[in-house]
Amino acid sequence: MKGKKEDKNLRDLFRHKLENVEITPGASVKTGLMRKLGRKEFLRFNPGRFNIYYFGGIVAAAVAVALLLVLSGSDDDKKSLLQPAPSSEITIEDLTDTLIISEEEQSLQSTGAGETTGKISAGQVVDKPESKSSSGITNVQPDEKTTFRQKDGINRSDVDGSISKGSILSDTGRYRNNVQSNLIRKDALFAPSVTSGCIPLKVRFKSNSISSASFNWSFGDGGNSNEKDSEWIFDNDGEYKVTLNVLHPDGLKEIYSAVITAHPLPVAHFEVYPEDAVIPDDEIQLINYSANAVRFRWEFGDGTASDLFEPRHKYEKAGNYTIRLTVYSEFGCSDSHVLVNAFSGSDNFIEFPNAFIPNPGGPTGGYYSFTSDEAARIFHPVFSGVSDYQLRIFSKRGILIFESNDINIGWDGYLNGQRCDPGVYIWKVRGNFRNGEPFTKMGDLTLLKDNQ
Amino acid sequence: MSDQEIIEGCAKHDRQAQQILYDRYSRFLLGVCMRYAVDRAEAEDILQDSFLKIFFGIEDFSGTGSFTGWLRKVAVNTAITHYHKNLKYRYYVDIEEYMSAETGVSSFEEDFYTSDELYKILNDLPAGYRMVFNLYAIEGYKHKEIAELLGIDTNTSKSQYSRARAVIREKLEILRRLKNSYTDNG
Repeated sequence: MKGKKEDKNLRDLFRHKLENVEITPGASVKTGLMRKLGRKEFLRFNPGRFNIYYFGGIVAAAVAVALLLVLSGSDDDKKSLLQPAPSSEITIEDLTDTLIISEEEQSLQSTGAGETTGKISAGQVVDKPESKSSSGITNVQPDEKTTFRQKDGINRSDVDGSISKGSILSDTGRYRNNVQSNLIRKDALFAPSVTSGCIPLKVRFKSNSISSASFNWSFGDGGNSNEKDSEWIFDNDGEYKVTLNVLHPDGLKEIYSAVITAHPLPVAHFEVYPEDAVIPDDEIQLINYSANAVRFRWEFGDGTASDLFEPRHKYEKAGNYTIRLTVYSEFGCSDSHVLVNAFSGSDNFIEFPNAFIPNPGGPTGGYYSFTSDEAARIFHPVFSGVSDYQLRIFSKRGILIFESNDINIGWDGYLNGQRCDPGVYIWKVRGNFRNGEPFTKMGDLTLLKDNQ
Repeated sequence: MSDQEIIEGCAKHDRQAQQILYDRYSRFLLGVCMRYAVDRAEAEDILQDSFLKIFFGIEDFSGTGSFTGWLRKVAVNTAITHYHKNLKYRYYVDIEEYMSAETGVSSFEEDFYTSDELYKILNDLPAGYRMVFNLYAIEGYKHKEIAELLGIDTNTSKSQYSRARAVIREKLEILRRLKNSYTDNG
């Protein structure tokens, strides 16, 4: 009865004092929470907010576009062979400016016929140099056009449908039905092999301008190049504005640009807890220190895997396993960390001497330490990483003389208070290392006479 | 914004509503989490996880009954999850050490102790004692329910509670003597 009352008193004390206490959390708690929340929200489907599903959609679209570009580029050869190049080819090649094409399209559409492409373009193509110089206004100047074309036309007929020219042709084909092609077309003048990716990001740029011009690439991170087609590796993450200045022999300048996004890499790092886990008895806990990662892939080395952030794992059998963690950032960049032989047995050993001299003064009980037993009065092993252990010593006739299950107790050379005869004895040991690996050893030892 | 509006906002994952919910209840919930943790840092960890659960599980709140009661329940459950997660790494205090710790004092004055002192006593308890004591004495769960929540035997819950009580009594008593000695001296 009294006990109950006391209990109530104690309960009331805590309940009344603590039930509605308010403690103001630190500001970092809120920022941390909002960050975690942002990450979780990103992974959740929500039509109202930018999240991974949108991101996935954008990536898919980007990949599709990139694929189309690559395909159309590589198909140039065939196309030019299959379809005899229309006469318009020449103009299109020469006049790398987009304005030409949109003009072309409009005229195409207005005439409402796909029949004589060549004729229309030949008549209406805008001279690129002119359109530039006239402050962006599109002028239709058929006369100048014609002369310009004839000049180059001679070369063209020789190389009929060559690859570099074909690529532009195919581009025009694609944009023919798209009146807004101006901007896209402009960027397509030098086509980066990729526009985004993980660092180190290697990008190849191919310019579609005529090769007699001089080129000056600036890669946005301080690097530049004068090649016609160039290649650049972005080592640091960020958005880079790559610009190409083309200086034509006739003094005309063109400037193009594209943005390349180099995504940072995540960093994979983890530790295994406990460090000296006994396999397979212990369940291990993996502690994840990875940074910038949203997706995780653990391979435990025994054929199993997990996608959890910090999985636990229990191995079926003793052994040495290599654990690999691969992490992926929200941009799909990956990094991995491998722990080879996570439960390494390299530190584990047990060795015995082959002789010792028992203490002449009487039994000592077999306790020893590595510093106190320099005179080798006790028969004991040197070892590391031993979890359990059984030592047995037999006489030559096979009679068990000594047994110890404690690695800290060796044999002092006495049996029932009597010093054993000098001579050869047999020892046998068995046990397990901390990683679960068993050991058994045997050998002989010589009990030496005290030399006094 | 009323609680009802906040709840509706949070159900739509409205960032602003979530912020308001946090600002309004984080102090109260940290007070709850503090009882289940070893220290402030762990309590704040539990608090963060509780809010994530609250934001993503607010649809589960039936709308009937007390909202704070529901919030507190989520925090308690999160604390239990943390307890399970950390179980393996906790420093264990030998239970037997406390077996004989019984004091003759029968009652403790509420006004004599500050809530900080009581928190400290709870924080210093072995994790298992702390869980059982909190759940039984403060949250008012039955031993059978606690046993299920913590994955232990009902009798374990009972014995842990009585040991926790003994430890707490002893600490309260020491604290009382300590405080009295100050007042006596000056």
